[in-house]
Amino acid sequence: MAKGSKIAIAGEGGQGVQSVAMIISEAAYEEGKEALYIPNFGVEQRGGVSVAYVQISDEPIGSPKFKTGDIVVALSDRAVKRTQKYVGPQTLFVYDADIEGIEEDLPKNARKILAIPAIEVAKNELHPRVFNVIIMGAVIGATGVVSVEKAKEALEKKLGYKFEQDPKLRELNHKALERGIQLVQELL
Amino acid sequence: MADKPIQGEKKVFMTGNEVVAWAALAAGAEIMYGYPITPQNEIMHYWTRLAPKYGRKFLQTEDEISAGFTTVGGVLAGRKAFTATAGPGNTLMQEAMSMAEMMRIPTVLVVTQRGGPSTATVIYSQQEVTMTCYGGNGEGLRIVYSTASHQELFDYTIKAFNTAWKYRFPTFILGDGYQSKMRESLTIYDPEAKGIELIPAEAYVGKSGIPGIDRDPAHLRNTYNLEDELYEVVKGHVAAYQRVAPEIVEYKEYDTDDAEIIVVAHGVVSRAAQGAIKVLRQEGIKAGHFRPVTLRPFPVEQLRKKADKVQKLLIVESAEGQLKRLVTDALYGITTPIETLLKPGEGVTVEEIVEKVRKLD
Repeated sequence: MAKGSKIAIAGEGGQGVQSVAMIISEAAYEEGKEALYIPNFGVEQRGGVSVAYVQISDEPIGSPKFKTGDIVVALSDRAVKRTQKYVGPQTLFVYDADIEGIEEDLPKNARKILAIPAIEVAKNELHPRVFNVIIMGAVIGATGVVSVEKAKEALEKKLGYKFEQDPKLRELNHKALERGIQLVQELL
Repeated sequence: MADKPIQGEKKVFMTGNEVVAWAALAAGAEIMYGYPITPQNEIMHYWTRLAPKYGRKFLQTEDEISAGFTTVGGVLAGRKAFTATAGPGNTLMQEAMSMAEMMRIPTVLVVTQRGGPSTATVIYSQQEVTMTCYGGNGEGLRIVYSTASHQELFDYTIKAFNTAWKYRFPTFILGDGYQSKMRESLTIYDPEAKGIELIPAEAYVGKSGIPGIDRDPAHLRNTYNLEDELYEVVKGHVAAYQRVAPEIVEYKEYDTDDAEIIVVAHGVVSRAAQGAIKVLRQEGIKAGHFRPVTLRPFPVEQLRKKADKVQKLLIVESAEGQLKRLVTDALYGITTPIETLLKPGEGVTVEEIVEKVRKLD
């Protein structure tokens, strides 16, 4: 695994990108790594483009903002446009295969560009509400930045109270996580 | 009385707003007066959740003017009171902070800078430097700590209560929206277990005994009829401020000993500067970083000593020259060229500073 990982996840407010970023950074902290998570959003609570920056490293982390990410994930057309500037020659750019009309806006200089069918899998195979956990899986699958076990523990910490009420939710979330890892690894 | 909020010390992973709430608890703050504004909101939220468990109090006021003045009132009554705000809220609180300056009231105000002017963004900037250091109608007799990490946010929030009560000048923690919202690890602790003595609060009004007989009368004024009367009072405050300033001033240096270029930055931007210095040194560029921790009083002498010896200074900030004004004021008469990297309302990255210094070299 790389010494440090810089991750940017962008989507529409309400898509759950901030929760994903928080859970990944919690998992990394619990694994004994240095982690820094910072959300970035507009004045509106919902509806704007929301960007989450996560840095994970073996060493203390400096500046909260970075210029280019190791992995940049965009989950809406506006997010694709907005995140272009965080892409460089080392960046793995991941976007959802369902986003239409963005061919022109895809970054030209990325190391690799992957279109993953996260929205489709969430809708047809699992449940729309675990869309963001599929994304979480994709980030973990692409970076190996935290172990699957720690990711599950972090999910438990965040959603455990819901899992208690409905144990099927736990299963659904774990499946979403694993499916996300699989989606990205198939393409890498 | 409930147990101490923090026993010994503990490693945690939390947001800066959470850190401030815990620090205020650990410092023995008794009451927070507040009015919601992003990105400061969660300081209030965490405080209201934690405070009742430890016998502390909270009052939400109708606006920031009121939050500022109730904080002043709380302190007058002998309570360890504090408040927190940002952006337009900081603007409104300057009225109360001017009063605190005039009456030497040890208020503690946590500012989480957002973009400006006016409502602007809810996220981040370093654009509240001038207002926090010199806001209000007066001479800016305040103490302003600019923090760079969650650990410092914790350490300096505790320290601010002591500084305020020891010197009796309004004391500010100048954080920012990044610090408010970001999560990173730090160690929280019980200050007393670390040997940090917490200076107790003391009431300004309603003291026991008969004024003029058992004790001096509390002579609390913020209104003066005559200009010579005011002159004397302000001169007295200025002299007191200048006397204690050397004890209060704090700064940090990174690789400045043999530096040919010094990057001056404060707060979160200091982290990018530190990262940049590491990269530049590997390239053989003799760059160093000077960071004022207190923006008021400013480490004038310390920076002058450095600035006189280097070939160039580079000022980096997320504002259009607010730190620069403090620096040029401090360096008056020194002819070292000053370059700038000014990004109002936007974060600064390591790469940008590296690139800028390379061009200067």
